[in-house]
Amino acid sequence: MKSDNSSDKNGCSCTIGTAGSDRRSFLKGLSIAAAAGSAALATGCVPSVEAAAPEKMKLRWQEFFKDNYRLMTQEEKEATIARLERLAKLQDNLDIQMSSEPPIERVLYGYAFNISRCEGFMECVSACVRENNLDRKTNTQYIRIFEMEPGKLDPSTGDGRYYHKVPVENKFYMGTQCFHCENAPCTKACPIKATWMEPDGIVVVDYDWCIGCRYCQAACPYYGRRFNWGKPEIPKDEITTRQHYLGNRIRPKGKMEKCTFCIQRTRVGRLPACVEACPTGSRVFGNLLDPESEIRFVLKHKKVFRMKEELGTEPKFWYFID
Amino acid sequence: MQKILLMYACLFLGLAGVASKSGASETSFLDEIKDIQEKFDSRTVEKVRPVTRETVLAKDQYNGRPFRVLTRKNEINRFKCSNCHTDKAVTVNQGVELTHGSISLNHGREEQALSCIDCHHPEERDYLWDKKGEKIDFNHSYQLCGQCHFRQKRDWLGGAHGKRVANWAGERVIYNCASCHDPHSPRFKKRYPATYSPPLDR
Repeated sequence: MKSDNSSDKNGCSCTIGTAGSDRRSFLKGLSIAAAAGSAALATGCVPSVEAAAPEKMKLRWQEFFKDNYRLMTQEEKEATIARLERLAKLQDNLDIQMSSEPPIERVLYGYAFNISRCEGFMECVSACVRENNLDRKTNTQYIRIFEMEPGKLDPSTGDGRYYHKVPVENKFYMGTQCFHCENAPCTKACPIKATWMEPDGIVVVDYDWCIGCRYCQAACPYYGRRFNWGKPEIPKDEITTRQHYLGNRIRPKGKMEKCTFCIQRTRVGRLPACVEACPTGSRVFGNLLDPESEIRFVLKHKKVFRMKEELGTEPKFWYFID
Repeated sequence: MQKILLMYACLFLGLAGVASKSGASETSFLDEIKDIQEKFDSRTVEKVRPVTRETVLAKDQYNGRPFRVLTRKNEINRFKCSNCHTDKAVTVNQGVELTHGSISLNHGREEQALSCIDCHHPEERDYLWDKKGEKIDFNHSYQLCGQCHFRQKRDWLGGAHGKRVANWAGERVIYNCASCHDPHSPRFKKRYPATYSPPLDR
């Protein structure tokens, strides 16, 4: 593999492999570039690449030096999305539409789960897997449904692995997922601020900023987070192509992921996939800041409780009974 | 003497006031949320795609706000009923197909089990009727269901029972009773779950 040093017009010297590069040569080029590139970075100049370098390498190079999503301007967000769309086309021959839809003003999302209605059909789980491009190989799932004994309210006492005809007499069903805590411990545990709460209350992860240390997973008292041990494997015809940068885009290997209340759907006014799929109407979703919303009706008129409320994490996910 | 008593009373009230204040200081973000009474019109949310399914404006309102429900008539295969239910006789060879033999009625408990004309209007065959004898349109069957299931109806109007169609924002469109429940056998049937869960990797 041939690498050559060159100085471009900006005065940034950087090196990159030429045609036919793979990951190894990319890294090799990177190590050579590091010395020269560090000077360039200090002056705030993103190293550009030779025109001869293949498009894929150029895009990956630019992706490598991008900012944390929260610090990006709208133009930078659009630029990274365009790059990711193009990379999906080049690497996996996928035509995706990625969005950076911002939060809607005066909206704070809240969720309620009716434990006296859920009958354990798990339509929500399979809808979530499909919508969020979850790995089929390891069968990653954001939602878990527990078959519970009457009188118990802690899902750890329930059976999360049932597979028989449901509902079973004298049992009830309880779903868990990320609760999008208002006072989220996971976001505090992250050493590089790759996870945070958006103004509309959704706790998100910048997958490209995440280093995969899994501190957040250890910090979450609700087992709400999942880790990608490999690149997600999804049958090509089942890939959801309408994606969001902070949502259901296909995660790289070694990144944390979790429920995002289907950010790609909710920010354009749609219900999360689990709510839309639920055949029993056990799932209620809406705007907590709207006194007339369904979620506020539940909070006002129903007996509600939250899981491990004593921890002070303030989940925006309530359980209720009829 | 009275002055001293008054002083004690003031002191006591003051302490009580402090105590109640410190009790209320453990506030949750929820308290702030519940104080918000300013209305939010979710129809102002841009980019909401309208519901594509057939809907009709409901005859009820929630807090003075109108909403829409999914229609029912278009889901009934052989509507209008009056196409067949005329004064004319039906020939025997069509009998099995046309006498609703496929319907298994399982609504109401044993001695209170319902029969056809508890809900279906005996003369105006294209309508339902309630216990007062009022005609009820198939698209507005919630008016009929609600006379027994009033608690469910109250929850349905507010949003704790049933659900919205497709969108949380935009014009409120909700599922009708019979969109989810088979009116002849309203309880959901037992079946296998759609998927299963592997153990968590922890």
